Amino acid sequence: MNFSSLAIWALVFYFAALFFSLIYRSQVVTGPWLFLLRCFFPNWRFFHGMGHVPTLFVRYSNAEKTWSPWQSTIPRARRSLLQLLHNPAINLALANQNLVDHLSADIQVLKEEEDVQQLVTYQLITRHARDYLQQHYPSLAIQHYQFQLTLMAPPTGKHEDATVLTSPAIAW
Amino acid sequence: MSALYLAIRAVECLCAISLLIQTLEFFRIQPALRETGIWAWSKQRQDLLHNPLWMQRLADFIYQDRQHQLHLILRAATATTLFFGMNSVSSVFLFISTLIILIRWRGAFNGGSDFMTLAVLTGLLITHVSQPLVGTEIAYRAGCWFITIQSISSYFISGTVKLFDAHWRNGRALSFFINGAIFGPLKENSIYKKKWFALASCWSFILWESTFPLALMGPLWAIVWCSIAALFHFLVFWHFGLNRFFWAWLCTFPAIIYCSTELRLF
Repeated sequence: MNFSSLAIWALVFYFAALFFSLIYRSQVVTGPWLFLLRCFFPNWRFFHGMGHVPTLFVRYSNAEKTWSPWQSTIPRARRSLLQLLHNPAINLALANQNLVDHLSADIQVLKEEEDVQQLVTYQLITRHARDYLQQHYPSLAIQHYQFQLTLMAPPTGKHEDATVLTSPAIAW
Repeated sequence: MSALYLAIRAVECLCAISLLIQTLEFFRIQPALRETGIWAWSKQRQDLLHNPLWMQRLADFIYQDRQHQLHLILRAATATTLFFGMNSVSSVFLFISTLIILIRWRGAFNGGSDFMTLAVLTGLLITHVSQPLVGTEIAYRAGCWFITIQSISSYFISGTVKLFDAHWRNGRALSFFINGAIFGPLKENSIYKKKWFALASCWSFILWESTFPLALMGPLWAIVWCSIAALFHFLVFWHFGLNRFFWAWLCTFPAIIYCSTELRLF
């Protein structure tokens, strides 16, 4: 058997195995180093499920102690062809949005005796919420701010939004 | 010059472009990593508290602002050398450098593009480090095949999971994701909101992605599948702002085209 036919059989077997592994999913292995080195185990599942979207909302209070309405921090931007070569702001905004997804995932597996405020994701999101307000309202004299994590339901009509976390009021 | 050599050189040059774009962006977003930024190391280092003290101290040293900046300068310089040819030293450095950066961003900065960049660097690492052990030709072929399998697997898995999803099959998923993307929401009269177009787009992506292994049937097949892939990644950039995905996957196309010449069924 030459290289070509051997390679073809190996590839057929590999992609068949891959196909069946997508049907019969095995147990998910987790761990702190596995999380940090997950780039070695890519799952390549992009945009695959229309589920709830974890969304961060923020609000602030001013000197009169009145709270602003909750506002979504979902990043929005203007597109330009040049962003194909240089796109730092959008990539950072997407990384921050990923952090929101990770906080949502962390909350789902949080044990009862554990404190959400001890989570690294919670602490980073606290900074994200503050940074968002600082960027959007640089001239306001904010006294306190607060954030909320809501799982926004997909527009299928079968599910409802669910708020999974509301932070205490945090001094500016 | 053999086709194999040209394929690896093309991968290296495209990888140089991809790494330079990424590194320049990392330069620009350094404020987010500083003590006053969202991703302050003083907070994020808690991810490493389960590790030995020496490892935590090493990380504290590497991730200081000054060291991080120096690291990015070295990374950009090394990436530039790829235009003239990679060697064992540059391949090892870029591989480790990528790992260091990814750990700083809690495992991934830009998701899939980080994974594919690491896959390409691993392929190039195999190519250059294994040369003294197995000879140039086998090392180059091993590197090419590694990159090809990773890239084709990514399309195949991505397409197959869409095939299993009812919202992709009925055409609703695409407008949902584009609507929630960074350039969203979609306008009322957007073509993605037209049912026939959404359905046709969803099925085009499903069929093209899940049949990507057919690209290995011959060079013409590979060129067709890779050309569609380039257009697809451009659309992903255009609608989702994911410029790194475009470059990360583009790096793999010369390897796919070369590997298709090795099988050449048609």
